[in-house]
Amino acid sequence: MDRAFQRTQILTNHLLRSSPPSPLSSNACLSYSPPELSENNAFDVEEMRNLIDGHNVEERDWLFGLMKQSRLFNPRVRGGKVFVSPDYNQSAEQQREMTWKRIEYLLGRGAFERWLTEKGEEIEMRRFAGFEVFSIYDHSLFTKLGAHFFLWGGAIEFLGTKHHHEKWLRDSENYLIKGCFAMTELGHGSNVRGVETVTTYDSSTGDFVMNTPCESAQKYWIGGAANHATHTVVFSQLHINGTNQGVHAFIVQIRDADGNICPNIRIADCGHKIGLNGVDNGRIWFDNVRVPRENLLNSVADVSPDGRYLSSIENPDQRFAAFMAPLTVGRVYIACSAVYQSKVALAVAIRYALTRRAFSLKPKEPEVLLLDYPSHQRRLIPLAARTYAMSFAANYLKMLYVKRTPRSNKTIHVVSSSFKATFTWNNMHILQECREACGGQGLKTENRVGHLKGEYDVQSTFEGDNNILMQRVSKALFGAYMAAQKRNKAFKGLGLEHMNKPCPVIPSLLTSTTLRCSRFQMDALCLRERDLLNRFVADVSKCKAEGKSTQQAFLMCYQLAEDLGRAFSDRAIFQTFIEAEATLPAGSLKDVLGTLRSLYALICIEDVSYLRYGYLSVDNGANVRREITKICSELRPHALALVTSFGIPDPFLSPLAFNWIEANSWSSV
Amino acid sequence: MASSQHEQVLVEEKSFARILTFNRTKQLNALSFQMISRLLELFLAYEDDPNVKLIILKGKGRSFCAGGDVAAVVHDIRAGGWRAGANFFMKEFTLNYLMATYSKPQVSILNGIVMGGGNGASMHGRFRVATENSLFAMPETALGLFPDVGASYFLSRLPGFFGEYLGLTGARLDGVEMFACGLATHFVPSAKLPMLEAALCAVDSSDPAIISSIIGQYSERPSLKEQSVYNRLDVIDRCFSQKTVEEILSALEREAVDRREGWISTTIQTLKKASPTSLKISLRSIRVGRLQGVGPCLVREYRMVCHVMRGEFSKDFFEGCRAILLDKDKNPKWEPSKLELVADSTVDSYFSKVKNEDWEDLKLPARPKFNLPPYVIAKL
Repeated sequence: MDRAFQRTQILTNHLLRSSPPSPLSSNACLSYSPPELSENNAFDVEEMRNLIDGHNVEERDWLFGLMKQSRLFNPRVRGGKVFVSPDYNQSAEQQREMTWKRIEYLLGRGAFERWLTEKGEEIEMRRFAGFEVFSIYDHSLFTKLGAHFFLWGGAIEFLGTKHHHEKWLRDSENYLIKGCFAMTELGHGSNVRGVETVTTYDSSTGDFVMNTPCESAQKYWIGGAANHATHTVVFSQLHINGTNQGVHAFIVQIRDADGNICPNIRIADCGHKIGLNGVDNGRIWFDNVRVPRENLLNSVADVSPDGRYLSSIENPDQRFAAFMAPLTVGRVYIACSAVYQSKVALAVAIRYALTRRAFSLKPKEPEVLLLDYPSHQRRLIPLAARTYAMSFAANYLKMLYVKRTPRSNKTIHVVSSSFKATFTWNNMHILQECREACGGQGLKTENRVGHLKGEYDVQSTFEGDNNILMQRVSKALFGAYMAAQKRNKAFKGLGLEHMNKPCPVIPSLLTSTTLRCSRFQMDALCLRERDLLNRFVADVSKCKAEGKSTQQAFLMCYQLAEDLGRAFSDRAIFQTFIEAEATLPAGSLKDVLGTLRSLYALICIEDVSYLRYGYLSVDNGANVRREITKICSELRPHALALVTSFGIPDPFLSPLAFNWIEANSWSSV
Repeated sequence: MASSQHEQVLVEEKSFARILTFNRTKQLNALSFQMISRLLELFLAYEDDPNVKLIILKGKGRSFCAGGDVAAVVHDIRAGGWRAGANFFMKEFTLNYLMATYSKPQVSILNGIVMGGGNGASMHGRFRVATENSLFAMPETALGLFPDVGASYFLSRLPGFFGEYLGLTGARLDGVEMFACGLATHFVPSAKLPMLEAALCAVDSSDPAIISSIIGQYSERPSLKEQSVYNRLDVIDRCFSQKTVEEILSALEREAVDRREGWISTTIQTLKKASPTSLKISLRSIRVGRLQGVGPCLVREYRMVCHVMRGEFSKDFFEGCRAILLDKDKNPKWEPSKLELVADSTVDSYFSKVKNEDWEDLKLPARPKFNLPPYVIAKL
């Protein structure tokens, strides 16, 4: 207690004794002025939080509370407030042990109850909320849980059948079994069909024999494999009587209950990483490992005891696609968690910008608050608008996923690929901008913003490389176009119905009123998507007419494909914003969301593609930019309320977001 | 300048200190509307007075303050509608906020009963001095209310899930336990209080470090009784961290089988006697409050208390007051009568704005932007 008093003493003395009546005239020393006392909320931040969190708000608060109240989550006092965040100064080994202890604690408190043993919308939404909350605390915690629950658990759920579910799911939920997911190899990542691990069937013993035939076939980056996992799902080629039946998934035990590595398995560490050091990523080699026949996850294909290959899906392409199901849900989780990192970074950067001053406009005048600089508003406020847009899109994606039907699989695949790539890229951009906006303080690990860049960079390549995912989006749009054209039918699905209407026209002079009209905004986004799709189809067709294969044609047209993928994402995200706004009654909440929606639309329309392809005249391009700066200054008074509504509790932000002077005082050294 | 012996708050001016004494001993110093208004007036005046550096709060008789005068509130509501009750709480919560964000240290001498509103008038201040006579409780759930006066802020910040335990069960703590868990900042034997008071009256500083070291000179570090519940924090954490009240109860029942400790069955009995609606809204309030600043906590609690006074979703508050304070049959008939009959949507309703045309959220009083001490800034 005395220590705390010492800490407060110097500054308290200073503030209490030396403040003359007018605070602005005292330039002798800066004092921290809490933004809560100078900024007003023009709308209800709780309502806004409920809207953008979208679901399970009480569950989220419970989980935040579980972490905040436990010593295991490394609470530290800075500037009189408690913050929880892992000690990233620990060695990787220590960090891994802490991640595991945190999982054990959460398990004991019932945080994962019914996560694997129950099905349905309610539990799936709860699980989404849980993962989002854990991602806010630490990406290692999120990833370690993710490897166990949605990769290992998901593989058993989606690829296994009843006896697998009965045998493995309950024990996995209770962590009696610790699972991991061995798909990626040193030589093959995104191209899963090329993995080199080979499994054959030995009908004399009735089990499979698995091998790592060469160094490039070693399993790589397997989260949980280096220290803790007892079992893994292995993706391997299946050879039956000399015929390769393609990639299949097998359950393989890699450690016994005491943690000893099983015979014929070799495991090595992946080493220190730029982030995620709390996850024990490992490499695995298999040397004639015997796998019981029933460990083949057989929802798609099976092998009879006498060694006959049986599959309900004849087409190997479709068979392979079915094996990829667990990755789809992984993409949903990743996309959603990326949005929350942007929220953390923006809340810190904007709160800091509301308390940090730099430069006076005239001598002897007080220095100007960072967020009162138009340029600083221009850097941060559009990113907040983007984050709101991503929140609505993430909620849409989750609903699309939990209400999935066999018919919606294709849509889920395209939308989750598009959003995963777009959100994780956006997140990295937002983290970098926020880091710079925090200046040198952004470099301190305890302030989180800079550190998150290393932790979340991986999201742009795991569960599908972003560039490859976006190419798939363009191909899917191409496919939708060809299907409509071939059958001479209207476009249906993926939000492409606008293609059936006449092409929208952009007015020759864009006024402020037009620019803020949602109809115009939607037209502008649809126009770009439509034109790029037409161009893409035309270019691909031209390549094919010149004798190239469809695959080659796609490769040649990659620039258009990238622009098209982006156009699709921007439009699809915008659509979810419009839909969320429409659910609200008239009032302050709807008003501020309308302004944010306009800002989001305009930063999409500001994109270079609008000038590159001539959708906007140079003059109109200038009008768009002018309107953006206007909206930024209009939103400036709402800045604090906008980031408070992100619902990230104070202990999960960082000292820089609060009394950073006190947090750095000599007495706190 | 001594005030009249008939006044409910006695004021003494000692150099740079002001001693405010609750003087309503018959009612165990329960806070009346008049007392709250007077305190608010005094605190506001002292904040701008450079001759005031320290405020000491204490109670006459064997109680510091036994709570808000709930019986009077119920009487007022019967006479003048729920608004009369809402006005009482609006004033009280405004005082709580002012105390929590006060630029000068408040020392509360808790030499006796400190319950409900009495905690609101002390826990938000910088220093809380417990003695061997202290008796703490937040007993609202037995009354059909919920821990208010900013309790969702200060209970939720106690170690582990002790705050949930205190808030849901209304369990009583002695002075040593208050000090151990952090509700009290110091423990001073009551025999030393006159000396402490004299020493504090000689202070000419608002520096919390100086005041702390003065109190420290009279403080002791007593040890907990062996059977103190605070020694069972591991069990409390396991049970009271559960997601719902129902799960908390079943966790306690499991522990009861394993341990056969008296306090566990007492705890279960207490929870079963409390208003089910109160338990559910209290738990939610503490959980949300853990993640909020003191201002938003009080704004939310004001919403909640207005719903309670309106009696739209449950009339348990009036039933509780009847059974405990008026008829004293100690046999309230709660409605809904069981936890499982309280719908989640009903609980949600307590946290929403009151749908009444001229109703407004609690307006927090303006605070100085530039010279609040860091320990105050950290609470916002």
